[in-house]
Amino acid sequence: MENKEFFDKEYMPKMHRIGKLTGALGVLIAFVPALVLAICYGILPAPAALVTAFVAGASSFAVLWFVEPISYFSVLGPVGTYMAFLSGNISNMRVPCASMAQVSAEVEPGSEKGSVIATLGMAVSIVINISVLTVGVILGSSILSMLPESITGALNYLLPALFGALMMQFSMKSKGHSAIILVFAILINVALKAGVFSWLPGANNYLGILTSVFLSIVVAIVTYNKAKDA
Amino acid sequence: MSALEIANSWPMWIACGAAVAVVVAQAVIFAISAWKAGPKVGLSKDQMKNAMKSSAITSIGPSVVILSGMLSLLITVGGPIAWMRLSMIGSVMFEAIAAGIGTNVVGVTLGTDVLTNEALGMALWTMVLCSIGWVVFATFSANRMDKIQNKLSGGDTKKLIAISTGAVIGVFGAMCGQHLSKVVNLENKALTLDKASLACLLGAVIMFVMIKVSEKFPAIKEWNLTISLLLTLVIVAFV
Repeated sequence: MENKEFFDKEYMPKMHRIGKLTGALGVLIAFVPALVLAICYGILPAPAALVTAFVAGASSFAVLWFVEPISYFSVLGPVGTYMAFLSGNISNMRVPCASMAQVSAEVEPGSEKGSVIATLGMAVSIVINISVLTVGVILGSSILSMLPESITGALNYLLPALFGALMMQFSMKSKGHSAIILVFAILINVALKAGVFSWLPGANNYLGILTSVFLSIVVAIVTYNKAKDA
Repeated sequence: MSALEIANSWPMWIACGAAVAVVVAQAVIFAISAWKAGPKVGLSKDQMKNAMKSSAITSIGPSVVILSGMLSLLITVGGPIAWMRLSMIGSVMFEAIAAGIGTNVVGVTLGTDVLTNEALGMALWTMVLCSIGWVVFATFSANRMDKIQNKLSGGDTKKLIAISTGAVIGVFGAMCGQHLSKVVNLENKALTLDKASLACLLGAVIMFVMIKVSEKFPAIKEWNLTISLLLTLVIVAFV
């Protein structure tokens, strides 16, 4: 078990150090543009107005600050968590890219190999994401007018198609499990839409994913224990 | 100087560029460490290269969706801020809402009213303050969550794999459920297939066919997803 020794004792502690350092740096740097507005142009919002806006924003988003990292942890792993939450666009980009990288390398999520591959896949997706945005911001909104309307319209359906395709990719090996989760996810979303959980503030934003992931983990553990006992 | 001229000024480009640079630097440092660790945990160079290629191909579609989100934000808060906010922490959905909340407090509706200096400041501060919660919590709890998960699996690697695979199915199931639930129309008590649900179903069906076909022709395997998405978008466009 030399591999495991290296992974647990050398690789992971190093990655945790890098993650904490860059994460903290990211938080500080995020304020620099706001400080430039204040220092160079004297634009500093009145504290009272800012508190009002922060409270309004936090009341819709604060639950997500905690629920999302917890919901996605088993998918992303520790290194993926550092990367995904600093770069954002998690469900629509980081998770699909990490998963497809693992499929392509034929490694399993949650294994040591899977963790290394997910890190590589996510890094590539971040670099491409930012490159596309950088080219886009330089060319400006003129590129939007360059795209024909049929393409910009079709883009609205890219994410649902992506999720459908990825669900199929991962369902092939565990059909029963996937069917249970899918039916559950549809039901809980219908219930959310019907207002069953309207007493839970902001539930629309997180309850579907949180409950689906945890139910799926429970189903996975039960299936695993059964197979082991048999 | 108008608020938008300030938002697009060079000091703002530099400040926002620094933030984007941190995100890229983190990704590159992690990738180099992972690349070096790969062979030691038993990965071949080919496996790692294939993984990166596959991720690159998968990145293209979502990148363009995020790009179109940035372009609409760019019109309202200027290039540098839109560029930074969609490269760091945020997501397409979050940024526009947060910016709107900020400007509303000072009586400016984002996208319709003229952006004032005050509103620009409010938009930026609100976006930053409301988003750092994610990084702070994720960054300082990753270590702890790792320990909890290891305890849950009892040091059994296979169990950890089962848990992670389950979580992946949970995430994609939830995302599909979000779209497919729109089929159930509660008001008319009827089932109606909208285009997003159709795209979700088609994506799954075509992917199934592609997986079966690529079992016979392994060379196309890494294009399975891209082909499925393109075919789906073409079909949905003509429906």
